[in-house]
Amino acid sequence: MDLSVQRSAEPAPPSLRAYDRDHINALLTQLARIEERIGAPLPKSRLSAGIVNIDIPPDKLVEVALLLRDELGFDMLSCVTGVDMIDHLESIYHFRSLANDWLLQARVRLTAEHAEVDSLVSVYQSANWLEREQYDMFGIVYRGHPDLRRILLEDEFIGHPLLKSFNSTPIVRHDRATTQAPAIQAVAGENLRHQERIQTKRLGQGSLERIHPGMTTFGGAAVYLETGQGVEPGAMSEPGRYLEGAGSSDEAAEAGTMPQERG
Amino acid sequence: MSIEAIHLPNANYQDESGLRSEEMILNMGPQHPSTHGVLRLVLTLDGETVTQCTPVIGYLHRGMEKIFENRPYMAGIRYIDNADYLSPMINETAYALATEQLVGIEPPPRAQYIRLIVNELERIASHLVAIGTYGLDLGATTPILWAFRDREQILDMFEALSGHRFTHNYMRVGGVMHDFPKGWLKTCEDWCTQFLERGIPEMHRLLTGNEIFEARTESVGYIDREQAIAFALSGPLARASGVEFDVRVNRPYGAYREIAVNMQTRQEGDCFARYLVKMDEMAESVRLVRVALDRLPGGSISQRTPIALRPPRGETYAAVESARGEEGVYMISDGSEYPYRAKLRGPSFTNLQILPELLRGHKIGDVIAILGSIDIVLGDVDR
Repeated sequence: MDLSVQRSAEPAPPSLRAYDRDHINALLTQLARIEERIGAPLPKSRLSAGIVNIDIPPDKLVEVALLLRDELGFDMLSCVTGVDMIDHLESIYHFRSLANDWLLQARVRLTAEHAEVDSLVSVYQSANWLEREQYDMFGIVYRGHPDLRRILLEDEFIGHPLLKSFNSTPIVRHDRATTQAPAIQAVAGENLRHQERIQTKRLGQGSLERIHPGMTTFGGAAVYLETGQGVEPGAMSEPGRYLEGAGSSDEAAEAGTMPQERG
Repeated sequence: MSIEAIHLPNANYQDESGLRSEEMILNMGPQHPSTHGVLRLVLTLDGETVTQCTPVIGYLHRGMEKIFENRPYMAGIRYIDNADYLSPMINETAYALATEQLVGIEPPPRAQYIRLIVNELERIASHLVAIGTYGLDLGATTPILWAFRDREQILDMFEALSGHRFTHNYMRVGGVMHDFPKGWLKTCEDWCTQFLERGIPEMHRLLTGNEIFEARTESVGYIDREQAIAFALSGPLARASGVEFDVRVNRPYGAYREIAVNMQTRQEGDCFARYLVKMDEMAESVRLVRVALDRLPGGSISQRTPIALRPPRGETYAAVESARGEEGVYMISDGSEYPYRAKLRGPSFTNLQILPELLRGHKIGDVIAILGSIDIVLGDVDR
């Protein structure tokens, strides 16, 4: 076997064909042929860096993918992405043609209530895990997938974390497995078990921190909302008082809630 | 993982000769030295032959894509370091490239050449880990010591350049963070020379002619070209099967539009070919570093971009060639300070998918040889 480094001399200058305008136009003409074959329009647009985007109607996806693979030589499905656009979901596919250096992005619009689309596993084997990941993260159901299970998260996980409606911090504060009272409870002496702690993120708060260094980004945004369960009515009347008045022992003593023995 | 997903043993299994034997399940991992991280393989065995394999991943899932959505564009660069933690510089390049395409700016020439140099050095460092640990998996202890000796010098250079051995946080949108410190170029040139003269030949002497190594890797884990394309494999794994695909050549980015890359391919498609492709790529990377050092232009290293970057609305997909294959970032901007969506296409995730196909019919001892040759980084699989 030849173990020397192959072709170590200076090669031909790099080919910039992938970004060439005429070369991409050739792809657009080919796509027009596919439009005629399936009898439905595929709205085309150009993205930056020589990428072409087409919108595919959900019911035509497998048909178009077969044509792309067999007629246009898009032999590699390299990436499947889900996007939550709030009013609808999108499933986005990136196809590569190795012979022609084309990169095609295909977009399928799905309704948020009924996010289902045909699976591409029968056309591209690589779609298997790629679609499973998007099912895991967005709950998009790929019809006809041979093994549609969660892949990165555990089976018992509830929800689909990359949806915009998913809260990345848990809303309910659970009791921690410790005998020590949390600091805020030791000072205020109240049971916070039935309160929800929500961290809100405001747009642009990162820049606030940069302009005024030392200002905490998230601590100031924490608010305590009341649920009104299991706490005496008066103690819950002022949202946010646990943050401002936490250090005031007078107030806590007045309310008769100094730290006591916990039952 | 639920029990339904596992291929349960067939109690009435018969082999070709009609002999009855019982299949059994072997749980390999998540803590296992040869998985290089936390990967669990549920193997169904007939005697010593693997009949089914179910990989279980996600032990290292950190919700990276959700984190991107809650951080400004610049902060994402630091997080993407940890995706493929053996080649952070290349991840950062992918992320910076995607953001630059959204904003519509181009880094100055010097920044692009610096990116090429650190990318190629990072590729060598990553391949050295891959080859060294691969030798260790197969029972050769010395290669990892010699590989880490050379790799350590690269990390020292990165430390001098960016301040960190790992998680460099070096790329910026529109350029790079620091210029080369004094004496860095000389160190780099010296390192290239001694690596070509001593590092690579030593590794060839240790592994390439090694009888045990050859016996355990040659004609093991064969992937043909069609299969490699159908599974969207990329990187050395695909090029060892004769797939002529390298993002640096097919869709050149940055300074690769000026410096041509020799694509290293092999036709054999087995574990040994994958090892050889990595060895060839290291020599090729040294050549690229030397060419880039020769032609290194002067000028500024970064465009002036605001820290609170607000790219216009739009979407883009940027791919770079990582040490393991196509590292892609798909990004949507809604005009605000945070990416609306940033999807990371990890090459290890896609490459790992072929493992059950490869293992079927192999002996259990080959599992480690095949898994090591795929060269996954679990941080990139789970993200």
